[in-house]
Order: sequence, then structure tokens, then C-alpha cells
Amino acid sequence: MIGNDIVDLKLAKNQSNWQRKGFLEKQFTEEEQKTILNSNDPFSQVWLFWSMKEAAYKCYTQRYKKRFFAPKKFICKMISKTLGYISIDREVYFSTTIITENYIHTIASERKEVSFDFSFITFDHKTDQTTFLNNSILAFFSGADTVQKDKFGIPFLYNQQRKIPVSLSTSHHGNFGGFVILKNQWT
Amino acid sequence: MIKEELIIKLKAIVKPYIQEEEAFKNLTEETDFISDLKINSANLVDVVLDVEDEFNIEIDNDSMEKMLSVKAAIEIIEQKLSA
Repeated sequence: MIGNDIVDLKLAKNQSNWQRKGFLEKQFTEEEQKTILNSNDPFSQVWLFWSMKEAAYKCYTQRYKKRFFAPKKFICKMISKTLGYISIDREVYFSTTIITENYIHTIASERKEVSFDFSFITFDHKTDQTTFLNNSILAFFSGADTVQKDKFGIPFLYNQQRKIPVSLSTSHHGNFGGFVILKNQWT
Repeated sequence: MIKEELIIKLKAIVKPYIQEEEAFKNLTEETDFISDLKINSANLVDVVLDVEDEFNIEIDNDSMEKMLSVKAAIEIIEQKLSA
């Protein structure tokens, strides 16, 4: 399983106020809160942890087929500035993050060494993001004719209404979007 | 508080976070925060915190975990108000 999450930092600044009372307490463990508050750049640290939790959630739901909102259950630990792991119950996901001035993007997976295809998209303001993202996926993965989310919000590729058994994860936020497909699953 | 009243209050709470006008206009108990209203998952916590403020209740982690739809939110609010 593979998951990814993108945070448009400019939009995050407008959409959320991480300093709001209760915001950190509800979503981050005490240790994560400490790391955030002791960071030189607490804002980026909040969204780094958040994208790790979201990317891990997307892996987790593919296996356990359920929807829930419990970011605090996804416990983040950093190995370096950009590598980390996220644990929930008995599952552990490894994550790698790219942090730029404009966005934070995390890919998480069950194994440390995975091979995946990844595409990053910068949206034009006028495009319907979901359609654009889905078309990009279909252009990339020639064996599929449709992308559809199931009732758990998990995206799947289809070919003539038959589900293709590959792990796919999509993400979009603000001006940025992307998708990852786990490699070597279908060969 | 009657259910209709709760839904009206909840509708006002989610309004700043929705990204799908049509689903918002037609909001019912069956409306899902994420798949219908397209609320960004990073804003779900704001919905939870706003609900806490509006109704003066505390939403514990177990309840928050389920708060993905109007129906679930109403159930949680009703339960906390009667506690």
C-alpha cells in the first residue's frame, strides 16, 4: 500500500490557524506538540506532521477499509529532517517528505524500500482539479480507462469496469496535486 | 434542542469550510462532510472545535473519530448535550 499527501502552504496559512486553541491538542500527540513548539518553524512542522499522518491514513484505509478522523492515533517520528515513520496500532509506515517554500509533500508506504511512480502537478487556476488529476493518471497508466473512488474514499483504477489491483493514492490541495502508484504490483 | 435546530446551527458552522455549494444548499442528515461538502480534511478539526464552542460541549477522541457526516455530528451533539 502507498499513500501521499500534499499541503499547499499558502492555502494552509489562510485555511487553518494552527495556533487556535485545541488545534494541536486534538490532532497531535504530546511529543509531536513539543516538537512543533520547539521548532524554528512551527508552522512547517505542523504541516509536515499533518501530511505524514494523512499519507499514512491513506495507506491504512486501503488495508482496513474504514473511514475515520483520528489524526492523533497516527504517531509520527522523524528519522531525519525529511524521513520518518508513522505508527498506528500494529502498523508502521515509512515516509519521505519534500519541503519547499510553497508546498509539503509526503509519500508513505508499508515498506522502507519501495518502488513507485509519482507525478506532481501544478494546477492552472481555472481547471477542475479532480478531472485534471484523473486525466493525468489515465494518461500515465495506459491500462486504465477510469479512476473512481470507493465509499471509503480510496481511489481505484478500472479497465472496462474491472478493478485493476494496484495501490494508487491521489492528493490535491490548493495549487498542487499529485498521485503515486506502487510499482511491481501488477507485473 | 430539536433536531432541525441542531442542523441549522451545524450548517452555519460548516459553511466557511465547504467547497461544494450545491451539496451545501441541499444539506440533509445524510450529507457527508468530505465526500459531499468536500471539506478539506485539515479543516475537520475546525468543525469539531467550532461545534465544541457553539454547544459548549467537549468532544472526546472517540466521538471525533466518527464525526464525518451531519448525522454523526448530530448524534454526538445530542449525546453530549444530554450527558
